[in-house]
Amino acid sequence: MPTAVLLDSSLSMTRPVSVEGSEEFQRKNLAVHGLTMLFEHMATNYRLEFTSLVSFSSLWEVLVPFTRDYNTLQEALNNLEDYDKTCLEAALQGVSNIVQQEWGTSCPCQVVLVTDGALGIGRGSLRHSLQTVKQRVEDKKFPLPFPFPSKLYVMCIANAEELQATDSMDNLEQLINLNGGEGQIYTMEGPLCLKSVQSMFGKLIDQAYSPFHAVLRCGNLTSDVQVFPRPEPVTIDEEVDPMPRTVQTEGDEIGTGATDDTEEETSTNQMAGKSPNFCVLLHGSLKVEGMVALVQLGPDWFGMLYSQADSKKKSNLMMSLFEPGSEPLPWLGRISQLGPASDAAENPYGEDDSKSPFPIQPKHKRSYAQNVTVWIKASGLQTDVQKILRNARKLPEKTQTFYKELNRLRKAALAFGFWELLKSMAELLERECTLLSDSAHPDAAFQLSHAAQQLKLASSGDSKYAAYEHNITPMLTDFSGGGGAHRI
Amino acid sequence: MFSVSHKTAFVVDHCPYMAESCRQLIECDMLTKSRSQGVIPLAPVSKSLWTCAIECSMEYCRILFDVYPTWKLVNYIVSDSEVHILNSWKQEDQNTHELMAALAAVGPPNPRQDPECCSVLHGLVAAVESLCKITEYQHESRTTLMDTADRVANRGRIICLTNAKSDTHVRMLEDCVLETIQEQNKRAAGSDRLMPIQQCELVLVHIYPQGEETLVSDRQKKELSSMLSSEVHSVRAGRYLASKLNVLVQQHFDLASTTITNIPMKPTLNVFEQEEQHANTSANYDVELLHHRDAHMEFIKSGDLHMAGSTSRDSGLKETVTLKWCTPRTNSVELHYCTGAYRISPVDVNSRPSSCLTNFLLNGRSVLLEQPRKSGSKVISHMLSSHGGEIFLHVLNSTRSTLEDPPSISEGCGGRVTDYRITDFGEFMRENRLTPFPDSMIDAAGRTPVERAKSQLERYTRYWPMIISQTTIFNMQAVVPLANLIVKDTLTDEDVLTCQKTVYNLVDMERKSDPLPISTVGSRGKGPKRDEQYRIMWNELETLVKAHVGTSERHQRVLECISACRSKPPEEEERKKRGRKREDKEDKTEKNGKDTEEKGWTTDSERLKGVMEREKDEQSECEIIKDSPDSPEPLNKKPRLATEEQQPPEKSKGPVSLLTLWTNRITQANSRKHQEFAGRLSSVNNKAELYQHLKEENGMDVHENGKATR
Repeated sequence: MPTAVLLDSSLSMTRPVSVEGSEEFQRKNLAVHGLTMLFEHMATNYRLEFTSLVSFSSLWEVLVPFTRDYNTLQEALNNLEDYDKTCLEAALQGVSNIVQQEWGTSCPCQVVLVTDGALGIGRGSLRHSLQTVKQRVEDKKFPLPFPFPSKLYVMCIANAEELQATDSMDNLEQLINLNGGEGQIYTMEGPLCLKSVQSMFGKLIDQAYSPFHAVLRCGNLTSDVQVFPRPEPVTIDEEVDPMPRTVQTEGDEIGTGATDDTEEETSTNQMAGKSPNFCVLLHGSLKVEGMVALVQLGPDWFGMLYSQADSKKKSNLMMSLFEPGSEPLPWLGRISQLGPASDAAENPYGEDDSKSPFPIQPKHKRSYAQNVTVWIKASGLQTDVQKILRNARKLPEKTQTFYKELNRLRKAALAFGFWELLKSMAELLERECTLLSDSAHPDAAFQLSHAAQQLKLASSGDSKYAAYEHNITPMLTDFSGGGGAHRI
Repeated sequence: MFSVSHKTAFVVDHCPYMAESCRQLIECDMLTKSRSQGVIPLAPVSKSLWTCAIECSMEYCRILFDVYPTWKLVNYIVSDSEVHILNSWKQEDQNTHELMAALAAVGPPNPRQDPECCSVLHGLVAAVESLCKITEYQHESRTTLMDTADRVANRGRIICLTNAKSDTHVRMLEDCVLETIQEQNKRAAGSDRLMPIQQCELVLVHIYPQGEETLVSDRQKKELSSMLSSEVHSVRAGRYLASKLNVLVQQHFDLASTTITNIPMKPTLNVFEQEEQHANTSANYDVELLHHRDAHMEFIKSGDLHMAGSTSRDSGLKETVTLKWCTPRTNSVELHYCTGAYRISPVDVNSRPSSCLTNFLLNGRSVLLEQPRKSGSKVISHMLSSHGGEIFLHVLNSTRSTLEDPPSISEGCGGRVTDYRITDFGEFMRENRLTPFPDSMIDAAGRTPVERAKSQLERYTRYWPMIISQTTIFNMQAVVPLANLIVKDTLTDEDVLTCQKTVYNLVDMERKSDPLPISTVGSRGKGPKRDEQYRIMWNELETLVKAHVGTSERHQRVLECISACRSKPPEEEERKKRGRKREDKEDKTEKNGKDTEEKGWTTDSERLKGVMEREKDEQSECEIIKDSPDSPEPLNKKPRLATEEQQPPEKSKGPVSLLTLWTNRITQANSRKHQEFAGRLSSVNNKAELYQHLKEENGMDVHENGKATR
């Protein structure tokens, strides 16, 4: 999950902190100290995550675009400049824009706002922004809630008492509420000093930047893994039992299947070393065989493991999380019903691996796969009628198609209670009969008048002839090779 | 989960007035020019109000069943002088084919029926009763939740297609529904198979023929009570009704519309004959699809909806996002960063462009869809592709991915190890592939198929060395039959026989002194001697079989066979002496269980360490015997220094081990046979300083690597 750090560079950040003895610190120095600690932590434990540094006053500026290079971020911290007053709204809008530009609106992002809690005065101050939040026109909306899933962490280089003395704390709390409650305010405990800023950032790290360690297990083969980005708990919008689901740290690999779709990706990465590791073995075999492994993350929560290669020959083991549920991918069916292929009476993959039991076909075909009849537009009806007539003119060669189309029309007309159409169709067929040329095959005339008569009978609604499942069958004539069949 | 859209009751009026014509004429006699001479065209046909109502409601159901094959249920009711309930809430009844057959049996309304005894009211009452009936899904939730069963909600929607007389008539219908709900809720409270209705949405659609003034006015959704809301739509029959129901199905089920534009229809893609086509066959076509609106989430959130080519049509109610077809370049299967997949339903299901597109997709091809942007770059935002006969609209991540440039797995733990049993594990995975089983398939122990799969994995991995140099038996073709069988849950007598044959075959190989594929990694020289190789092989085989010995009595028999047959070479007296003690310990460690064993074959480096600390203690002893292919001969001689160095801590630990006693004795015995090195005699802590004389001669430090020795 990427992080955007929004650092207050207004003049008030240069206020000195009263420290007994030793050297004098500015609040800015404390902020830099805290962020340095955060960046160091990420460089060691979160080196695959992207972080951006934005500084703001009345204007805002991207100091470092999203990067994994923590040295650059650190360097930027060391070269900060001081500007004028605090205008938080514009800065939040700025962060919202850069995150959307970079990652779109579906990628979750953490925003870390570092400020001294002096939130500006007059126009552009947070107080002013919040007072006018309800009177905005469409294109000047307050940037919160962010359009992407987010957590807003406010790191105050101030202690709670100081913030509560003014309305700063209230305003910040309102900010979190505007973000749908997603986020948290951290304040410093005790005197403002290096130690208390460390402890504050320490709390943030524990809350939001703890690495995700897990054990990948396949029977008795196991491997310790770290997962990037950290899988976050999911709350399903289920009215019966709304409960957050967390990924269990024990990943159970439950077997392999072949599928090709993903919901959400995270990459699994291992710690360094030189002894054999199950992850490497699994990855190698998945890659060579072109298979994926199904992995269980919790009760009724599954995912899959596969080899993911980027363009540069590098590949790694990737884990995709499915949406929680017992049947995350319809074409796999219920996961609990997947068992060892060796238990099946016959190898479902075929002796030579030529078959697969997947995808599972749905019980009923979808409308687009079953030649349904829809006459909502006149053209639909006209097409069907013309199709029958076209085949009627090519009798007896097209006898089969003629009756197939005729029965399709008959069924739909009966279901829709459209008996008038049956009568018209019968008339059209009778007219075709009279228009037959002298050279026409004699069978054509018999089939046409037979079909017309059957349609007329159906249009009477007589249950004997109007049964839905009944089909009009070709008349057996001497010409159609039916040998000894009756004639009209 | 059980929102209003879980249950939809359709009530269609089947009274005599519904037989009236909608007065929209359809010309079905389209004479081609060449044949038109002297033929009087047939009178155009027109649908009845009933036909219009049926086909539009069927279209509603078709879209619904395409997008939600489960969980969203329809109960179809027809009302005249009595009630015809055409299906139930059961999942198997949820398809248009069944409904069409049932509708055919009902037939069109009889215009000669006495209008006085006919009413849509019967149907509305039946619909309320039906909404009280519990569905399979509600039942399942109630039974699984037990204590919180009362939290399973019962909500539903009634869509009534009728021809009302006036606004007052509409009021009357609404009142009737409200009364019935109150009545039925009382009844339902005392029943197991019924549930009271918590919320009901009544959607009244008044249908009137073209060219007539409507007698009923439209009305927005209004709460009639805490349980019932109602809305009225007054619509002309025919295509107006069709587009109204299309809008309703989108509203009711959170659907959105995407129009695929620029679909090239080459003659090769045609499914129908050319006749009805226009002259230009390579024209580009549009196809409109419906799907869950979440597929547009990215557009909605970013406010891009209009930029993405969204257009409003048909009175502004209906919006569609236009995406451009990208002709697939290759047929190769690529994995895309996909963030969601949603079922689709084409709006014009049997139009030629639609069926061309859907057939193309059902045949296994995929189509990438491009977001038309006003400025510059093209962005691929979606993909259409089918799985198991169902077409899905996949949402692709069109922005930068946080997963870009991942590190290679070779940079991580175990990444430098080169002799993984990749092929063997591939075979292992193929043997453990999953397959779907019918719902009722639970085995004698009550395990679900997936539990059986997990237990199979456990069995198959009890002894599974990960790298080639850790194993001998899995590198031997001769062991394969036994190795494949021993992991099984049950063995037949025949299986046992096969295992025994495998063992006899190995005995035979040993007798003939056939070479074994023992790895020489980590050992110097030409590796262990032949008999040592076989000892290692037999030990490993025993380890494998012992891991399964508890499975059944037949598994036990295989182990017995090995114990009886395996070689204890009598010709090597010295080895025998050493070996006996070693084997004693070995048995002990093996009884200690798998833990020790696992440690035994964990890592390369540990193994090397084990070699160095060879006779240190039981465990390292076990390591070497278990899996080290290293020859003991040179090692016995070489690391004596190290051995003795290790002894003091051993002693300090407590009672002296048998091993220590033995080595001490041997050392003593040996020391008598030769003169001890001068260095060792004068050593401090087993370390002797070399070149002491130089120091004495020069009288200065020699640390500087010879520089000082001028």
